[in-house]
Amino acid sequence: MTQSVGVGRTPAAGSEPAPFDVRAFARTAQGSLRADLDLDAMARAGISHEVVRTIATLAELEGATMEHLRNVLVTPTHKDARVTAFLVSWAYEKYWIADALRRIVTAIDDAIASESTDAAAHASTTDAGVIAPRTSAGRGPIRRALAGFAQGPDVVGAHLALGYVDDLVLDLAYARLEADAAAEATDRGNAALVDAIARIRAVKTRHSAFADESARRLAASPRAARLARRELARSAWPLGSGSVATGDREALGRFAVPDAEARAALARGIRSLPGIDDRAVAAVVRRLGA
Amino acid sequence: MAFDIDRYTATSVGVAWSDLDLEAFRREPLPESSLRTLRYMADVEYHTVCYTRDLLTTPSHREAEMSAFMTMWNREEFWHGEALAAVLAMHDITVDYDALKANRMKLGWKDRLDPIKQSVLGGLVGHDFVAVHMSWGAANEWSAITAYQRMAELEEHPVLAELLRRIAKQEARHVAFYTSQARERLAASTKAQKVTRFALSRFWAPVGSSISSEDDVRHVMTHLMSGAEGRRAARKVDESISGMPGLAGLTIVQDALDRLGVAA
Repeated sequence: MTQSVGVGRTPAAGSEPAPFDVRAFARTAQGSLRADLDLDAMARAGISHEVVRTIATLAELEGATMEHLRNVLVTPTHKDARVTAFLVSWAYEKYWIADALRRIVTAIDDAIASESTDAAAHASTTDAGVIAPRTSAGRGPIRRALAGFAQGPDVVGAHLALGYVDDLVLDLAYARLEADAAAEATDRGNAALVDAIARIRAVKTRHSAFADESARRLAASPRAARLARRELARSAWPLGSGSVATGDREALGRFAVPDAEARAALARGIRSLPGIDDRAVAAVVRRLGA
Repeated sequence: MAFDIDRYTATSVGVAWSDLDLEAFRREPLPESSLRTLRYMADVEYHTVCYTRDLLTTPSHREAEMSAFMTMWNREEFWHGEALAAVLAMHDITVDYDALKANRMKLGWKDRLDPIKQSVLGGLVGHDFVAVHMSWGAANEWSAITAYQRMAELEEHPVLAELLRRIAKQEARHVAFYTSQARERLAASTKAQKVTRFALSRFWAPVGSSISSEDDVRHVMTHLMSGAEGRRAARKVDESISGMPGLAGLTIVQDALDRLGVAA
């Protein structure tokens, strides 16, 4: 079991990361995780409603790639073929992460439903109000496209920074899920959940292009750093939040960043980006509801 | 028949070619005119993520099935680009990300305005606009399959033929998705039929037209779709398109060939 690796993934100060090998990343893209999930064990583990709700929210967020892709592709980011090549495989891996998380939720919900005769006691985490109809969060494509005219290619660094910070936030949630389940890991179901979360985190560490490329670009261009600060402050956190109910988004924020230690870890990660200051950190934390 | 999205996503893979003897292209290189066509095809495949952008500006991106398809489709088309680039590399033609970026940078204001236009149109037309996209996608994917099949027949190069066969097989699943979506949406709405008919008949051009010079488009269409056999292939695509609800009588592919001056 590992603590959040968000900070651990950031490039060391003063070092130049090797260019991200997009082809190697694409060639080794991780597909379905289904074969590795012990759903039966997880279903019988008595996992708490709060944890299941968190997993359901993470499933929605991981599955919200198309909205994020739209937001970045209507800007000059779409011209950078290395970045779009990365995003294509990134979306594929996140699709299967979302699929794995949904399967876990469904398995647990089905087990509860078949055991309980009390309708109130086994309110499904997929009830309406938990998984909200998708709505547009924030600026639509026209405003983003128009803004992109002025932003130019520097916006690419800003978009990569968004991806990096989003990974930091979600990894805090995964780290806590993994740690909490590991504390109960004498139980086979929780051990299975630890394994599943660890696999998901391992896939997500492959998305280090966000960290590496954003650091490189923000260091090279003060304008890119300025755009990144603005995008970080204006975005709804976590990314893809338009697809979840406000209550679930806030619950996830509190789950991922429950205390000063987690806030400090998140802040360290965000501040490791060149040109990103405490104001940007504060904006992210505020918008997370943490 | 309804498209099985679960089966599609579970079996979606990047096209493989490591078992093919690409050194055969060193021994028997393709002629210049064919390489020009292959380069066009590679550019189109790599540009899929940008075509996706226009689709994403409509409400369709929020539908789970659409989102799942676009995720897999993008990845498969990316690997088609990589496969064709690998063949071009055997002819010392490099199609790397810098070259693709340079091409995209050259596209200018039209490229910048497209997502805004799509968004505005989508807002005006409403949800029926998705039918336009699905029908457009179906037309493009049918054309792509036809192009790969024609290329394989004309070149008679066994390694190329096998690679293009594998690519075309994946494109066939894309066709299946687009047509099942298009049929369902067109059948459900006469407004969708009218808007789609108008859009296709007025604006459709062979896939790749928006990112290539007219010279290149004419070259590729002449290479693959001229003469009696080429025109027959075009007619088959038109029959598939016009077979969809509300699109009877459309001959968008043949019309495009006529506009380009491609001899029948």
